[in-house]
Amino acid sequence: MTHLTMEQLLSARDPVSSPGTQQANGHLESCAACRAELDRLHQRTAQLKALPMLRPPRNRWPQVRAQLVARRRTRRMTVSGIGGFALAASVALFYLAGSWTPSVGEAEAQEAIATAIAQSQVLENALGQYRPEHRVTDGRTALVISGLETEIAEVDRRLQLAEMRQRQDDAVLRLWRQRVGLMDALVSVHLTRATNAGL
Amino acid sequence: MMARPGIATAGGGWASFNAAMTRVLALESFPLANADAVVNRARAGDPEAIEQIFEAFQVPVYNLARRICRTVEDAEDVLQDTFLEVAKSIRRYRGDGSLWAWIRTIASSKALMRLRRNKYRDADELHDEFMPSRRDEGHLRMDLEAALERLPEMSRAVVWLHDVEGYTHSEIGEMMGKSVSFSKSQLARAHARLRRWLGEEVPA
Repeated sequence: MTHLTMEQLLSARDPVSSPGTQQANGHLESCAACRAELDRLHQRTAQLKALPMLRPPRNRWPQVRAQLVARRRTRRMTVSGIGGFALAASVALFYLAGSWTPSVGEAEAQEAIATAIAQSQVLENALGQYRPEHRVTDGRTALVISGLETEIAEVDRRLQLAEMRQRQDDAVLRLWRQRVGLMDALVSVHLTRATNAGL
Repeated sequence: MMARPGIATAGGGWASFNAAMTRVLALESFPLANADAVVNRARAGDPEAIEQIFEAFQVPVYNLARRICRTVEDAEDVLQDTFLEVAKSIRRYRGDGSLWAWIRTIASSKALMRLRRNKYRDADELHDEFMPSRRDEGHLRMDLEAALERLPEMSRAVVWLHDVEGYTHSEIGEMMGKSVSFSKSQLARAHARLRRWLGEEVPA
């Protein structure tokens, strides 16, 4: 007698019928050896499901968190870069078109925004040198860093909205200055940590 | 239709047990307190919420990755990649299925991606080089853990995803970029090997 192949046994095991399942079931009714084989297949599957849960050998969260922070920083730098580029481009466009000359107040505001953007970029670069995503920080420092990162993210969100509305007024200047302040604090935290840890 | 002697009791019992086990594994067997609130906070970019999700699901994700990948290091990388993807895509999680099912699909894809990237030597013939010849197999009895470990990568992945995680052949084929019949034949070959290596083969 020809017994069922493994593929046929698997078809008979699975609840969703496939071509040949009926034939396989018919064979199983009359073949004790194949029934025993199907039973062993069920047992093996049950044993697979009962294998112990393997646990990670070490806590991988610090690496995941560092990557998330690095990703957020990259986004910030992009926003900062786009901000600077957008400002420069819009100013150049207006001047080249010759259709608009900013008033003294507006020109001062734009200059101040450009200065704040440049300061922000310098601080981003300074922060990048510490490579904070590769550093271990204690819980308290991590909490301070996390708070600052969250505040910066919120400022960035508001700056993005301002960019979309093409605003370049005092409110935008305040946001950029706030960003510079927060970035300065963030760099200081990393500088202090690096000094104390000798890294 | 005649009743199948033996199957209703022995096979049927195992089938019910397996179905129940699959349901248990598919459900939220890795609870996360206040899951909806945590997910909402994660969507808003709260790193603590992402950490809570990580804490709740890191073990099942690692277990799945380790069962599919060859090395501990690969499994750890899959664990990391999975949660980076979770953090990135949590806004796209609509909450219409269980959170674990969503994370598990990400983890499975990452693990399979890792297999493809590493281009393991997965040729069956090559793998058989390391196995004793058929003549010696009468003396061979491995435990299931060791036998599973020795399966070629793709076969092992199919066995785990189908028999333990409960994915269908169609879903596995889609995740692997292969056909349904590929998944079916890999499963059949894997079980034939396991049967042999576990010393369960009955002489014809």
